[in-house]
Amino acid sequence: MSKPEYARMKFYCDEDLCIDCNGCVVACKEAHEVPVGVNRRKVVTINEGIVGKEISISMACMHCSDAPCQQVCPVDCFYIRVDGIVLHDKDKCIGCGYCLFACPFGAPQFPQDGAFGTKGKMDKCTMCAGGPEETNSPAEFDKYGQNRIAEGKVPMCASMCSTKALLVGDSTEVAAIKTYRSVAHGKGISTQSYGW
Amino acid sequence: MANTWGYGAMTNHLGDMQNSKAIIIFGANPAANHPIAMQHILKSKEQNGAKIIVIDPRYTKTAAKSDIYCRIRTGTDIAFMYGMIRLIRDNKWFDKSFINDRVYGMEEIFKECEEYTPEHVEDITGCPKELLIQATTAFATAEPGCLIWNQGWTQHTVGSSNTRLGSILQLVLGNMGKPGGGTNILRGHDNVQGSTDMGCLADTLPGYYGLAEGSWKYFASQWKVDYDWLKGRFKSKKMMEEKGFSLSLWMNGVLDEANAKNNADTPLKALVCIGNGISTITQVQKVKEALDKLDLVVFIDPYVNDAAVITTRDNNLYLLPAASQVECSGTVVNTGRSAQWRSKVVEPLYEARPDEEILFDFAKRMGFYDEFTAGMGKGKDFTWPEDATDEIARTLKTIGMQGRTAARLKKHTENWHLFDTTSLKGRGAVTKEYYGLPWPCWDETHPGSPVLYNVNLPVSQGGMGFRTRFGTERNGVSLLAADGVAPVGSRIKGGYDEITSVNIEELSGIKLSDEEKKLVEGKNWKNDDSGILVRNALKAGLAPYGNARARTIVWGFRDEIPKHREPLHSFRHDLIKRYPAVADIENHYRTTVRYVTEQTAKNWVADYPINIVSGRVVEHMGTGTETRASKYLAELSGEMYGELHPELAAKLGIKDGEMMWVYGTGEGKIKIKCKYSYRVDENSVFLPQNFSGVWSGESLENRYPEGTSPHSFGENSTQVTSYGYDQQTSCPETKCSLVRIERA
Repeated sequence: MSKPEYARMKFYCDEDLCIDCNGCVVACKEAHEVPVGVNRRKVVTINEGIVGKEISISMACMHCSDAPCQQVCPVDCFYIRVDGIVLHDKDKCIGCGYCLFACPFGAPQFPQDGAFGTKGKMDKCTMCAGGPEETNSPAEFDKYGQNRIAEGKVPMCASMCSTKALLVGDSTEVAAIKTYRSVAHGKGISTQSYGW
Repeated sequence: MANTWGYGAMTNHLGDMQNSKAIIIFGANPAANHPIAMQHILKSKEQNGAKIIVIDPRYTKTAAKSDIYCRIRTGTDIAFMYGMIRLIRDNKWFDKSFINDRVYGMEEIFKECEEYTPEHVEDITGCPKELLIQATTAFATAEPGCLIWNQGWTQHTVGSSNTRLGSILQLVLGNMGKPGGGTNILRGHDNVQGSTDMGCLADTLPGYYGLAEGSWKYFASQWKVDYDWLKGRFKSKKMMEEKGFSLSLWMNGVLDEANAKNNADTPLKALVCIGNGISTITQVQKVKEALDKLDLVVFIDPYVNDAAVITTRDNNLYLLPAASQVECSGTVVNTGRSAQWRSKVVEPLYEARPDEEILFDFAKRMGFYDEFTAGMGKGKDFTWPEDATDEIARTLKTIGMQGRTAARLKKHTENWHLFDTTSLKGRGAVTKEYYGLPWPCWDETHPGSPVLYNVNLPVSQGGMGFRTRFGTERNGVSLLAADGVAPVGSRIKGGYDEITSVNIEELSGIKLSDEEKKLVEGKNWKNDDSGILVRNALKAGLAPYGNARARTIVWGFRDEIPKHREPLHSFRHDLIKRYPAVADIENHYRTTVRYVTEQTAKNWVADYPINIVSGRVVEHMGTGTETRASKYLAELSGEMYGELHPELAAKLGIKDGEMMWVYGTGEGKIKIKCKYSYRVDENSVFLPQNFSGVWSGESLENRYPEGTSPHSFGENSTQVTSYGYDQQTSCPETKCSLVRIERA
């Protein structure tokens, strides 16, 4: 008997297409009502203004298979869904910040106000998949934001991307889009002509 | 552009840019200002192999995606383009048959370009000649190439010449009327095309009908009011037909007593401002002075207009809360001339009211509500905005709005999944129509016209030649298209005049009945309510507006062919003798405007040695009144700054993040943060124009009514931009200015 195949959810951002418009950042914040100062997603620009060398890319939690955050968490608050989305339980999180040290992408975020200043419950990109609370419940929204995946919707950042640089979905689908774009490169637009 | 080939609008549309093989982005920054347009531009680059050429004083986010980047000094666009045209002429890259058949006056351009050798262009623009040659070669040899521009071209004393020469460049290469070609001006924001179509201008009635007596009489008939009653609303017939004050010059009507003679011997007394960021025009301190002096000021906006806190007046200042776009319904017109029906999402919140309700209320209290709403033809029982949309369709025949009824536009929006995003062509229920019925859409059976001036299509499928707008001949030379050039299926196989009751039978070959003759007597395609002229023209495959040549010479303009003229406050004082500004203009939109006097008043650059580059940031829109009220956008772009090249900053002794004072050539000064950046060259400072709420170092936050202040504030860059207005349109010069900078 063959094993059922599960999707493996991944982000991909094409730096040739990302124009640093921050549409993804604002879409994420508006969708999940994230506090000011907490950035689940960021656009990073390197070599800003240097002719021929400027590159922008949108970054968030990359939902690693061997997520270092999960491995270092002392209270084991992380869990990885069967589709690969890395989530965490804010009720277990003690705000120690180990995950931030372990993460190669700087994804974990901590509130900037409150008694502990930069500490507090960690917050990060959920790939719009909510958290351990009941799906689409007010408690889930309050702690983790929308659960668009449960509704069959594309995560907010990618759906708002103005140039379609940011892709998200089953890794085979994302790879297929990237492959299609590579093959189509320079081959011309197959557009209909005007008139009939 | 209207003066070159008939209409002043983007000739193609956003999706069509995917068909280009080369795209010049000149004086525009779509990555920051039109992110969605970048999707099409980058698709063209990646899939269609288009070369992206960016020509800009600043290495923008758009430039970061370019194949070729040319940095030029602000205000030298014309010299650069003449340099391109000269190379095209000498290498014979021009489209000879297109020029012969469809253009008037190209010899003059080929003569004018003679002095713009690559070396001379390098001297004027600062761009190495190798890059000029590389960019020209890439663009001229691509088939087809499209040209994109924006406010980087229009907001200059020679803005009108920039746009004309851009149009001419595309004529030289025969890139007009082609998929993937065209002049694609990206409109500054949502519905700008719609606003200009509706006559939000100082010199025209809706639909670009002008202000002459005939136009007023036509509009009186469309509005179903008596012409004499309408005339009676004005001080005199002369003032009725006179251009008004423009947005950039109205302050002079308040402040300058000498100007009263241009305004029926009276200064302006009141201002009603509906949804306009009036602080974005140059020398905003004059706006403040004028707002302070007026008897009455009214702002109608969803957010508190920042000009309302700039003024220090303490009485007769009214803020009327207007509904936002999601609280209203009706059409908006995009940059590609397509309309879209927008549905109301929620009822207006709190005290906000839709614009039309506010205006109806004004009309009622001033006693002309019945006349105001008569044009819809339904008496008191009209349905808003459907009946108004149909009135627009009936009335604005000049731009072919007849087919854009409310019912058809709603159907398009409801079925938008059935349209192809590149060609705009519909399927199923909307087959044989283009999305949003891009104008001209000649009648209710017409599909709209996605690409203007395309003779390779029948008129009934969106084809047309250039408009016959400037007569049929000049000095014995025909201005009509050459024989053999006409839209596919045209009965006339060459040029022809615009359609009138006199020539309709001859041109269309269709005999009119006596009854029809009576209906169209004395009419032409622009004012024939019976629709007979347009209908018969379409039957014969004729464009109602004629089939003529585009022209390079605009008789009556200050520069009959576009000429390079140094900015009034030029970084190159040594060049102003050879390329001086035009003479001062008396009564330019009711104002006396200085040109050469201002330019030669002193050696400006000696005291103000740094050049301004101005533009927008991606997070904010216009004055930022709306976007600075968003906490997330304010977080991303929260304060005013000036980008300085580290070399220049080092010379000035200013560290990254320190505050600096910027002094303009006028009276203005601003205190802003220094941001080190390699985007600008070593002579320039980049100033974003999206901030307001700080005035020469003083915060104006306390002047906002309680609970209405935005999340981020900053100095208006227009406090330090210099005096200057377009020599034809009076568009403000916000681009070429000089400043002095000191560490604060």
